[in-house]
Amino acid sequence: MADLSLNLCGVHLKNPIIAASGTFGFGREYDELYGISALGGISVKGLCLGGRMGNPPSRLTETPSGMLNCVGLQNPGIESFIEHDLPWLLTKDVAVIANFFGTSIDTYCQAAEAFAPTGVHMLEMNISCPNVHDGGVAFGVKPESVYEITKAVKQHAKQPLIVKLTPNVSDITENALAAQEAGADAISLINTLTGIAVDVHRRKMILSNNTGGLSGPAVRPVALRMVWQCAKKVSIPIIGLGGIESGEDAAAFMLCGAQAVQVGTANFTDPFACPRIARELGEYCDAQGVANAQEIVGTLKSY
Amino acid sequence: MQEIRAKVLSCEPLAAGLIRIILHAPEIAAQAKAGQFIHMLVPDHAHVLRRPISLMAFDKEAGTLTLAIQPKGSGTQIICAMKPGDEITCLGPLGTGFDGAGAQTIYFVGGGVGVAPICGAMDAYATETSHAFFGFRGAQYAYGMTQAPCAVSAVSDDGTLGEKALVTKPLLEKIGEKRPDLIMACGPTPMLAAVQKIALEQGIPCQLSLEERMGCAIGACLGCNVKIVAEDGSWTYQRVCKDGPVFDAKVVDMHG
Repeated sequence: MADLSLNLCGVHLKNPIIAASGTFGFGREYDELYGISALGGISVKGLCLGGRMGNPPSRLTETPSGMLNCVGLQNPGIESFIEHDLPWLLTKDVAVIANFFGTSIDTYCQAAEAFAPTGVHMLEMNISCPNVHDGGVAFGVKPESVYEITKAVKQHAKQPLIVKLTPNVSDITENALAAQEAGADAISLINTLTGIAVDVHRRKMILSNNTGGLSGPAVRPVALRMVWQCAKKVSIPIIGLGGIESGEDAAAFMLCGAQAVQVGTANFTDPFACPRIARELGEYCDAQGVANAQEIVGTLKSY
Repeated sequence: MQEIRAKVLSCEPLAAGLIRIILHAPEIAAQAKAGQFIHMLVPDHAHVLRRPISLMAFDKEAGTLTLAIQPKGSGTQIICAMKPGDEITCLGPLGTGFDGAGAQTIYFVGGGVGVAPICGAMDAYATETSHAFFGFRGAQYAYGMTQAPCAVSAVSDDGTLGEKALVTKPLLEKIGEKRPDLIMACGPTPMLAAVQKIALEQGIPCQLSLEERMGCAIGACLGCNVKIVAEDGSWTYQRVCKDGPVFDAKVVDMHG
């Protein structure tokens, strides 16, 4: 069996499969189905200081080969997470990635600082949620503001800082470069693509926020393209995500240049998706005669 | 809660626009409670969200689950096109379920496809003095009445079955005769809101089974959350899949 382990910004991951933020809670529910220690990492539900209620129902709907959501970053707050959920999560043999957001540069910095004294292994800064008006995406669109907020937060971040990028921009590589120049330790991409769903019978929007974020296999070709483009421009590690459903999908992202991947929507289709994808990636590597999965990163032959 | 490959024993029309599926799923049936649901994977590779389907009946000895499904969208159409012998991946049982413990007289209220989980509740909790009230669009949509374990009054929108009335009319009349200890209801939102209003006004304990679009169905994604109000007027969002689908009528904001 191929070695799937990797060192991501100084953090050991037993495999490159990370549960994507917002689809996995803090891991407790999925741990009732299988031992979550089977994963390389868990990016927890997006957190802010003081918590947030989120959007009213309806918060999600299925779309062709995908889904739209506008959950709106509902979370119990960083304080509650650190007190009630993190101690449990740290007993699991899995890298804990604290996904966080704020509403201003100051609150982003305070959020990063709140994790400093904790055992969280990495931080993932969400500057790309399309579902809340004051929560992040405003900082994630223009390269100058990506640079500014990354630079500021990096000074308050004790753990390695991943910057999660939005695909809803004209050139994502400019934002990837801006994050790198500002000191980001890694980037993750892509967050969801903005979309809408229409109930033609009621002549009404389906989602309470009107717009939502598109995820699932429908976005995979876009996500692969963006990872491939960014990998040619930046030297910091890339975590790829967008519609990964199988070990071969994970391999495709790694061939494009991602060191690790995140799995989101597939957890809903198959609650056992993450450990299955890790197993399938191992089988893929064995079939390819690859001893360590990291050997395939960025080795895609292109025209 | 367990993930299994369930075998389809039968898949036949139950009423107009409604299919009854009986699954052999002994692991889930063994743990099932009335009002719970299963999360069914559409047996193709295009639908990323599973379909949450309430248990209409379950038989722990035979290891079977009975479901009533409206083949309205492409996912439920594929599920309802299954044949005996086919297998389908299901996670369950999920959710809280109804609780009729200690209630001598329960009034059951069901509307349309919402009658299905009410049938399960009646199997579990109906007593001699209990009574069920079903509302259907018309006679051809009716089901669940012939083997009911208590008396049933049915009404319809078009008058082809019982009185042309909303289900709350016979419910209110019956409450006037005898107050129940508990009401259990499942159906369209306007029906649930009307039942909730009656229960709150008359001070009758009431459990409502809610429906929402779901993502994970195990409480992780917060996609199915609804507004829950506390006595002091403060509110939170709670998960239909894990904290529900059955909620106390006192705390549900049907308009939130």
